[in-house]
Amino acid sequence: MATLVTTVTETLRYRGKIGQWSWMFHRISGLATLLFLGLHIIDTSWAAFYPELYEEAIAIYQSPLYTIGEFFLVAGVIYHAYNGLRVFLLDYKPAWWKYQRRAATIVWAASIVTLIPTFIFMANHALEFYNEADEVAGLQQIIDVQAEFALGFVVIIAAALVLSALYGLITRSRSRFVLPGRAEGMMWSFTRLSGVLILPLVFGHLAMIHVIQGVFDITGGGLQIVGTSAVNVSGEAAEFVGARWDQLLIGVAIWRVYDAFLLILATVHGFNGLRYVVNDYFHRPVVNRALNWAIVFGTVALCALGIAALLAGVDETAYEIAQEMTAH
Amino acid sequence: MQVTMRIRRFNPEKDKKPYWGEYTLDNVEPNDRVLELLHRVKWEQDGTLSFRRSCAHGVCGSDGMRINGVNRLACKVLVNALGEGDHVKIQVEPMLGLQVLKDLIVDMEPFFEHYRSVMPYFVNNDPVPADGRERLQSAAARARFDDTTKCILCACCTTSCPSFWADGKYVGPAAIVQAHRFIFDDRDQAADERLKIMREPDGVWRCRTIFNCTSACPRDIEVTRAIGEVKMAIRRGGRGAIQETEGTEEAGGEG
Repeated sequence: MATLVTTVTETLRYRGKIGQWSWMFHRISGLATLLFLGLHIIDTSWAAFYPELYEEAIAIYQSPLYTIGEFFLVAGVIYHAYNGLRVFLLDYKPAWWKYQRRAATIVWAASIVTLIPTFIFMANHALEFYNEADEVAGLQQIIDVQAEFALGFVVIIAAALVLSALYGLITRSRSRFVLPGRAEGMMWSFTRLSGVLILPLVFGHLAMIHVIQGVFDITGGGLQIVGTSAVNVSGEAAEFVGARWDQLLIGVAIWRVYDAFLLILATVHGFNGLRYVVNDYFHRPVVNRALNWAIVFGTVALCALGIAALLAGVDETAYEIAQEMTAH
Repeated sequence: MQVTMRIRRFNPEKDKKPYWGEYTLDNVEPNDRVLELLHRVKWEQDGTLSFRRSCAHGVCGSDGMRINGVNRLACKVLVNALGEGDHVKIQVEPMLGLQVLKDLIVDMEPFFEHYRSVMPYFVNNDPVPADGRERLQSAAARARFDDTTKCILCACCTTSCPSFWADGKYVGPAAIVQAHRFIFDDRDQAADERLKIMREPDGVWRCRTIFNCTSACPRDIEVTRAIGEVKMAIRRGGRGAIQETEGTEEAGGEG
């Protein structure tokens, strides 16, 4: 933990070249995206299991605080994607190191070039919505809901700490959490290859849900739902999700397959990144083990939850429940 | 010209915390080296200033320190590289990530421990050639690891690495450069053992391809590239893959 402070202050003081800044922004954007990914998987699973909660979650997404966050999220994802591609190429082609500084500059430039039209589209969606919106979720409501998530994270970490301390007492183990055998190298490759696979998936996802339709159109009654031939009759977020998951292309539920790949790849990629950060800065065996266990738990739990929601799907009963909830 | 030296000072017998000492030097030539300025401070102003230096010509690697924010050898940096005009400010600190013993002197023992851990010596148990002379090697095979033979163990790369700052257990760029020098030597027989050490949790996988090491190296070793080649050798499966790992093309020129 002390080294975290050192690293933060000294990263600011050490005059590393652009590569050091790329690394820092890569970490920050990755951690921020993972935080949202965790919330987003839980939220979206509600469409299948608790439609009334899902409507509330989407109402919160459609509030100014989240809209600001959405701009940061999209910027972070795009930078992380481009810089990840740079790191991927330099890692697999070490001889290309000479181009790393130019590549880092290109990453910044490409991010900005991509973000300008993206932000224009997003801002249009936002202005259109806020000009007409009768009511948006209040700050208090947002804080209340997020406080529950925060509490959840705290409980998981606290439980992991207790278990890790007990484990330490029983086994007298004073070692950090270590992946077995060659797994560390495999995770290194997985992180790079999954990153490359996630890139087109996440860009498609961003294009559909943030640019073409926008978060505000999720509840657009009478609107055609992006990527489907269906129309959102009820105007409920649950129907938006359900119709997308039920869209068939040559007999395949195309968006369920798409979302399943994105879910698994992004979750494992993201939590592995978090594991790198944890292992860099948390050295005490009890803490290191606890955080790593929490990471393994988080990865498995979110993948399982997401897959369960994708398999369950969202049916018309859910639309009705959602509609009742919105009516109140 | 006039130079203000801002030097990080720490005497463990007197000081609780490190502090900045300021020293003004007149009649500095633009082509003076920072090491000469440190000498002048020590000889003319404060004899207690402590730093390491030995050959003073960029060969021994003793005087690695952080100069104007970047790791450098004090004997290889000229004042005119740090500023122009009548007055130049120069800031000198000890290297980061190793414990400061006094002023600019850090404890190099953890660094050398990592160095020793990668078996930085030639291993070949075959009988010597019948003519009793040296084991021959083609010019191309020699060129394969030429770059990593240049290391002088000054620790500029390792102490510029954010992964090493974060966790001193990370073996660090310098040790990986040394491992590379023997892994890619086709006369050596311990490549697999070294790759096994390199794929440990505190080995190459802690490198995040940040490139601070490459820009810090006073010998212009392509450090991040060497680390990358070791990673690739591990992922592609040991010795057999080593010769396939590209990198020979332009290195052949000097041979």
